[in-house]
Amino acid sequence: MNSVVAYVGRDLIKWTRGRVAVISSLIMPAAWLVFVGLALPVQFTGNYLDFITPGILVMTMMTAGLSGGALLMFDKILGFLNKFLALPTPREDILFGKILFITGRGLIQTTIILAIALLIGASLLNPLQYGLIYLVLFLFGILISAFATTIALYLDDHDSYAAFSTMISMPLFFTSSALMPYSVMPQWLRTIAHGNPLSFAIDAVRDVSEGMFPAVPIVILLVLTGVLLALCMTVFRKVTV
Amino acid sequence: MSAIETHGLTKFYGDLCAVQDLSLTVDNEIFGLLGPNGSGKTTTVLMLTTLLTPTRGSGTVCGHDIVRNGTGVRKKISYVPQDMAVDIKLTGRENVLFFAYLYGVPAPKDRADEALAVMELSDRADDLIRTYSGGMRRRLELAQALVHDPAVLFLDEPTIGLDVAARKKIWEHIRALKDRGMTVFVTTHYMDEANQFCDRVGIINKGNLVALGPPPDLKASLMRDVVTVLTDGPCPDPELPGITKIGSEGSETSFSAENGREALLVLADTLRSRGVAVKEMCLREPTLDDVFLQAVGLQEDSAGFDYQKFRTMLRRRK
Repeated sequence: MNSVVAYVGRDLIKWTRGRVAVISSLIMPAAWLVFVGLALPVQFTGNYLDFITPGILVMTMMTAGLSGGALLMFDKILGFLNKFLALPTPREDILFGKILFITGRGLIQTTIILAIALLIGASLLNPLQYGLIYLVLFLFGILISAFATTIALYLDDHDSYAAFSTMISMPLFFTSSALMPYSVMPQWLRTIAHGNPLSFAIDAVRDVSEGMFPAVPIVILLVLTGVLLALCMTVFRKVTV
Repeated sequence: MSAIETHGLTKFYGDLCAVQDLSLTVDNEIFGLLGPNGSGKTTTVLMLTTLLTPTRGSGTVCGHDIVRNGTGVRKKISYVPQDMAVDIKLTGRENVLFFAYLYGVPAPKDRADEALAVMELSDRADDLIRTYSGGMRRRLELAQALVHDPAVLFLDEPTIGLDVAARKKIWEHIRALKDRGMTVFVTTHYMDEANQFCDRVGIINKGNLVALGPPPDLKASLMRDVVTVLTDGPCPDPELPGITKIGSEGSETSFSAENGREALLVLADTLRSRGVAVKEMCLREPTLDDVFLQAVGLQEDSAGFDYQKFRTMLRRRK
């Protein structure tokens, strides 16, 4: 466990020293909140900002996860991984540390986005609701970072991975329930949106905001996260033996 | 119990044999594994550091089996790979402290300071690595490796890409570590450094160990003395018994003989009596380079480039 903390600490220091990366990662979700949440003339919900905020929070987490996927691959390419693997600490700690860091970094970013949303007029919730929202975002963060890390390790090449993450991020976002309620979607989009893992997280956050306990989405997220973690560990073991 | 023991250690990448039947014993010494590029040096180190599973054979490090008890091995060793991997956005102290935490040593802060002091980095410890020179970065990696006081230290090409002064410093540190009781297993292709600093060397070629022993023994056993003659005009081969012409380059001709001192006199007399204008003669002892060339032969870059093999090799080695 101590080594997981050490791995997370290392990445955290490295991240906070690259100021450009910290700020630029916040620009896109903030822009969505302001330009789409505030400015888009939509009629299908009462307060569109309240509707879109869960979607933007989950998108922030997704972007953080996808950009973090390359971290372990870089450690491998640059020779750090071999040094870590030759240490007496459990080898899986490298992977857990990385996934926890990516998720933690995503949570920091979503917190800032949440603060911006409140500043520009989203409704304030009670502490228990925020706790549940963080739980959902944490689960989704683990899910997306395990997924991204698996793909990056499997592709083993930065250009391919960058192309892959660019390719999937927009379609994933637009085919989720982030921007509009299911009721106004065309039939084909509704079908896709119901199967999109982003939607599970977004719907869960939305349920919480409306005062419900999102048992089903949380269970689905838990199962998906478990499956992806197992897959990620398999790929990790494969590339490290 | 020896620090490192291997029996018939073999590694195949597909059908490419990287290391074949390697049997070695290394104990409290600086052991240098020499060989041309792609000869299996790094593969050997990766197997001994449990980063790669051998295809056949066995090995132990400090009595722990490298396949069955990887964690036991890793508790006793430190490994510094070839590619300099230190975090440039972290300070020297942070880099070492990070490893101290990972090793779980007691009093990590003190241990880190100590390791930095040993590597003479204390005064720059709080600077970002970005500002370190190549030699300092390498020393920092050694400090990271020392923080848990390993019994065996594996260094893969520790002086590659460094200037002469930095190399010398690294080797002095390595020797000091050995004097403290550490076993150091190092790979290199700098013969002069191996000659000067290694207690014993093994020369590996295409996965096979072709020579093993202390550098002076190897030089004595594999090569004879070399006499070089500088002449005006061509130098004929006098065809004296026990003196073989190796070759000539411009006005310089080399001969090899069992006893160079005697051969030098005989050669000088014979050549002068035949009217050859000898300007200069010198006697030199064979260097480890000569041993290496004799053992390995002139390396042609492997005939035909098999892209598929190259790819599988790269994949497995990372």
